[in-house]
Amino acid sequence: MQKQPLEFTVNGRRRQLLVAPYYSLLDTLRDEMQLTGTKKGCDEGDCGACTVILDGKPVTSCLVLAHSARDAEITTVEGLASPDGLHAVQQAFIEKGGLQCGYCTPGLIMAAVGFLQDNPVPSEEDVKFAIGGNLCRCTGYTKVIEAIMLAAETMREQNS
Amino acid sequence: MADFQVLEQSHPRVDAWEKVTGQANYAGDVYLPGMLMCKILASTRSHARIISIDTSKATALPGVRAVITGYDFPQIRFGSGALKDRYIMARDIVYYIGEPVAAVAAEDEITAQEAIGLIEVEYEDLGAVVDPLTALRSGAPSVHPDLESYEGYGFTIEGGNICTLLDADRGDVDQAFMEADHVFEDTFRSQGINQGFLEPMACAANVEANGRLTIWASTQGPYQVRAQLASVLDMPLSNIKIIPMELGGGFGAKLRLAFEAFPALLSMRTGSPVKLINTREEVFTLNGPRHPVTNYIKTGVNNDGTIIAREAYTIFDVGAYLGAGPNSGIGHGLGAYNIPNFRLRSYGAYTNKVYVGSYRASGVADMTFAVESHMDIIAHKLGMDPLDFRLKNTIKEGDIAVNGSRVPGNGLEQTLAAIKERLGLPKELPDGHGVGIALCEWRSGTGPSTASISVNEDGTASLLTGSVDISGSDTSLASIAAEVMGISIGDIIVASRDTDLAPFTGPSGGSRIVYSQGKAVQMAAEDARDKLLALAADRLGVPQEALGCAGGRVYVHDNPPQGLTLGQLASASVNSRTGPIVGNASLSTLPYAPVFSAQAAEVEVDRATGQVKLTRYVQCQDVGVAINPMAVEGQLEGGAVQGIGRALTEDMLFDQETGAVRNPSFASYLMPLALDLPELETLMVRVPSEDGPFGARAVAEPPGFGPPAAIANAIYDAVGVRIRELPLSGERVLAALQGKISEDVAYIGDELDELKRAEGLVA
Ligand code: FES
Ligand code: FES
Repeated sequence: MQKQPLEFTVNGRRRQLLVAPYYSLLDTLRDEMQLTGTKKGCDEGDCGACTVILDGKPVTSCLVLAHSARDAEITTVEGLASPDGLHAVQQAFIEKGGLQCGYCTPGLIMAAVGFLQDNPVPSEEDVKFAIGGNLCRCTGYTKVIEAIMLAAETMREQNS
Repeated sequence: MADFQVLEQSHPRVDAWEKVTGQANYAGDVYLPGMLMCKILASTRSHARIISIDTSKATALPGVRAVITGYDFPQIRFGSGALKDRYIMARDIVYYIGEPVAAVAAEDEITAQEAIGLIEVEYEDLGAVVDPLTALRSGAPSVHPDLESYEGYGFTIEGGNICTLLDADRGDVDQAFMEADHVFEDTFRSQGINQGFLEPMACAANVEANGRLTIWASTQGPYQVRAQLASVLDMPLSNIKIIPMELGGGFGAKLRLAFEAFPALLSMRTGSPVKLINTREEVFTLNGPRHPVTNYIKTGVNNDGTIIAREAYTIFDVGAYLGAGPNSGIGHGLGAYNIPNFRLRSYGAYTNKVYVGSYRASGVADMTFAVESHMDIIAHKLGMDPLDFRLKNTIKEGDIAVNGSRVPGNGLEQTLAAIKERLGLPKELPDGHGVGIALCEWRSGTGPSTASISVNEDGTASLLTGSVDISGSDTSLASIAAEVMGISIGDIIVASRDTDLAPFTGPSGGSRIVYSQGKAVQMAAEDARDKLLALAADRLGVPQEALGCAGGRVYVHDNPPQGLTLGQLASASVNSRTGPIVGNASLSTLPYAPVFSAQAAEVEVDRATGQVKLTRYVQCQDVGVAINPMAVEGQLEGGAVQGIGRALTEDMLFDQETGAVRNPSFASYLMPLALDLPELETLMVRVPSEDGPFGARAVAEPPGFGPPAAIANAIYDAVGVRIRELPLSGERVLAALQGKISEDVAYIGDELDELKRAEGLVA
């Protein structure tokens, strides 16, 4: 199938590329743009490893056709840190030990970033719901939840 | 506790920054110029002769660069152990649905997939057997009719499909059963389990300009992959370099050669790099999971609660190939108890299903479910408190373990005491609520371990080991080196490694790395430190004994301001008589160091639906010393949650006719999500091991053993029904509540007699 032109913004940069019509956003990020931080755990929408932020909302990028993201604003894990340092969520995952093998981590971090934008004062229960679609086989989630709670606190301080 | 500078303090992982920024590279992240994609054609038959394979249409498809079948590989069988029962790709016969029959390399993945659909295979079905107990019976279809002709076959018991037997005996068990005041018998069944690692199997291969083969692998055991790959390709080991990439979870599944040979051969055929990434469905259908296990246990007990005899027969389904083998050792039929008379048997039976793989101390969780449920049953029948009954029989320092070793000092009793105190046991809960406990045992893993440490001119140190990082082991190894050398963990550089660069080491698995590899690192660091001290003694003109090493300096004990920094010493060493400072260590095995963990579950059972809600889970483990407490907790929490999945929801379903995996997706194979978590409490006690680094013990395996039995025992406490089969689903509990599962389900009877007859134990 012929590749077709596509434009969108990824991590603040306008990108133009040629992408086959059947390509998912996940495969496009990885294969066409070498943004391999976004992971493929299932390609079926079941694990959350491929979560990115699309126009402000966390989505599983394996279920999004690249061409349906035309002109969208996309943020991947590679686009989170600023020249001043890591995003509060990234920092909290490091401090609390919210990662082990790290394969689920980009997806969990993006799900958390998206969620904390909407709910800056979450309860632990809220956090569990927010990451309810993200599988992690290593950590048992406890430290992931602690990390997201810490990040919420840090972000509130940063914003006040 | 000793006064540590680095250990017993939580440190972030040394690789955390790469992982939170998406910079960590896994095998699937390898992109090379001109790289082709590989796809596998899987067998659609359970057991069949291959009449013909026609690859011509696939080969003709534009974009396809090469197609291979089993006949393109040297005709060499391989295996994980002594028995060589398997070709890397089917040749003449397929033994299970999912077995690789052909592979394609094409310019992109979709073309490769299309080509797979164009390969035509003609099969002639052979008799298949799917159920392991059926497979044991004489007259059952034989999975490997020519087994006796395979290299490494050394097994003599009759019974066509039995491929292994592990056994252990002590005392006169039959006599003890006759003398015992009570004898109890139970049979338990546990289900098939998928390891559930998040990163699908992936690898890339390339033939370099000099003819050597480079493999970028997702593996726990690069040296094992190198050796097995050399054998199936009939190529010198020295022609292969394995680069272990960041590992996205393995839990035992990635200990051995997986699919690396397919891209390797395709790269040799095409001259281009080739990459293979499994789909999630392939992870479920092509990769060795754990198969269902049947456990028969019989125990002789005296009126005072002393256990005097144990018989355990465990039937492991190994699928079509022995693969990882049935289990991690025979002793687990005893549990954490000292029993003077025993007969323990573990049988492995071939069936026409995907071959068995490893998963977190393979088989021990199954056996712990059986033993700890059985202990609970006995305690209740004797009218004893389940915890007191266990305590009365626990194995103690000075007892002789199943493996013949003297049991060294350990924290078993403290773990039980901690659980008892935390939960306030014994306690009465309202109807529908219950509490159950389980006691788990394991040993610290060992095996060949090496390390090399060089001191840099700025006072940092570079650590080189051949072990793959799992569960933060690099961070733990760096901590150990830092502690010995008196520098901070940030001053240790953990070198990235491959099989050309790093010295040989055993695979990362079985709770081996921190205990054994950590010991090698400790010894290498001590070696480097001794060399620093010797050099400093020389330069400062004082005896070596007068010197200490801390805070990045070597200093004179009596006059601490007098000294030299590690940087100064390393710089000086370059032109010294003895040369640059490098510490090395190498070891093969360390003595037996047991690990114990006591665990408890609180549940709420809905009598109307049978649904079990796990409300609280408490574990306490003897960790010896916590090298990095945050990492230790992470291991304990993660392991327990895997065990909770095993207890309640995870269940690999196999078609009873064909052996095909019926639920090959995360949507149908249900692993715990954050929402499923109970209140999870993790406690540690610290009784240092005699030989581990700074007294550390293995950590990772035991937390996953306890949940099935602890939860089953809690269900019994809550509603009075005993579930002997995993998972403890609402369906099963409801059936039991409605009296549809009898208390004495005997899953195994004739089969047991048949095995005993074959052993010559009965006429
Ligand atoms: S890869 Fe998208 S949800 Fe699993
Ligand atoms: S850290 Fe390994 S899957 Fe989450």
